Amino acid sequence: MTDRNVLLEMVLEPGTGKALEMKAGLILRIEQIEGLQCVDFNCFNLHDYKEFMHCGRTRTVHGFHPTKGAFLWSAPPRERALMYILEDTVGRNDVLFPRCSAYVYESAYGFDAHTNCHDIQAEAQREYGLTPDDVHDSFNLFMYTEISRDGRATITRQDTKPGDHVDLLALVDVLAVPNVCGADVMRTSNFALKPIKLTLFEATDADLAAAPKTPILKSQRTPRDFRNPTIKTDRRLTRDSSYVAEFVNTPIRLEDVAIELSDEEAAMLDRLRLPVYEADDGAALRDILFTWWEQKFLGAAESGAPAIGDRKA
Amino acid sequence: MAGRTVVMRLNQQQLELIDRTIQRGEAADRVALIRKALREQAAKQSKSAAR
Repeated sequence: MTDRNVLLEMVLEPGTGKALEMKAGLILRIEQIEGLQCVDFNCFNLHDYKEFMHCGRTRTVHGFHPTKGAFLWSAPPRERALMYILEDTVGRNDVLFPRCSAYVYESAYGFDAHTNCHDIQAEAQREYGLTPDDVHDSFNLFMYTEISRDGRATITRQDTKPGDHVDLLALVDVLAVPNVCGADVMRTSNFALKPIKLTLFEATDADLAAAPKTPILKSQRTPRDFRNPTIKTDRRLTRDSSYVAEFVNTPIRLEDVAIELSDEEAAMLDRLRLPVYEADDGAALRDILFTWWEQKFLGAAESGAPAIGDRKA
Repeated sequence: MAGRTVVMRLNQQQLELIDRTIQRGEAADRVALIRKALREQAAKQSKSAAR
C-alpha cells in the first residue's frame, strides 16, 4: 500500500524492543531488513494494561500459526479483538512458544545474562511503568514451529527475505511492543540476530474495510462488570473473610429426557456410539446430539471451539 | 435390532441450548430434536462410508 500516510519509521536493533502507542486505525508494519529474524510481539489495551493480547485465546480461534485474516485476541473475560493481521507476506507465525527467557540461557547454555525475549519485552514496556511480571506470552512473528509426533513444540529454521512483513491493524487503542527475538544460539532466527524495520501508518479506508467486524457480546466483560474491579496492589495473598462464592449457573441441575427409539433408530445409535460410553445408551446418545449440534452450528467444530471471525482456509 | 427406551441425563444449560435450537425451528420438541440429530448423524456416517 503506497497511499498510506507514514507516521513513523524506525529500526529495532538486535537485542532491543520498543513500546509504541497506537490509536485505533493505525497500522504497524514489522518488516525484515536482512531476513531470517524472529520478532516477539504483544500488545495491551492502552487504557487498561490488564487487558492484553492472549496467545491461548488467539491459538484457540486461529490455530498455531495465525496469519493474514486472523485477529489478536485479549484474554477472558475481555475477549476482544485488539488487532487484525491485515497482511502477512510469509504466513508463518507462532503462538506455541511463550517467549525465551534468561532462565533458558542459563540452564541450557550457562549464560546468566543473555539477550532474551522476556527481558527485552520487559525493558521496552518499562517505559510505560510495566513490570517484568507484566510480560505475557508472545505472538512470535516469522517463527517456524511445528508439533512433533510426541506432542512437543519444536523450532525450525526460517526462510524469510528482506522486505517480508506483517501489517497489524489496531482495532482499539493499544500499546504495541515488538522486540527482536534474542535467540542467537537457537534455530529461531537461523543462529544470528538482525535488525527489524518498524513503520507506523494511518490506515486507509480500504484497510479499515478489510477488517471484518467481530461481534460485541454481553460476555465480553470489563472491570465495570467485575465483583472486584480494583487492581490488587499488595503482593501477599490473604483470604477475604467476607467472600461468598457466586459461581455461574450453580448448582448444576440434572434432568432426565427419555426417548423411545424404533428398531431402526436403535441400530443407528449402536452404529454411531463411541466405545468410551460402553453400555451407557444415554451418554452415547448425548454425545451424538451435541456432536451434531457442533457440526451444524459451530464454525470449527473439529477443534471443539467456535471460530468467530476466523479466516477461511 | 430391537427398539428401546434411552434416558439422557442433561443439565439445565444443555437443555437451554436444546430449547433455543427448537425455538429456531429445528424441531418441534426435545425428543424430535434428539431424533433428528440421531438420524442426520447416521445419514452422514452412511454417506461417508459409501465414499
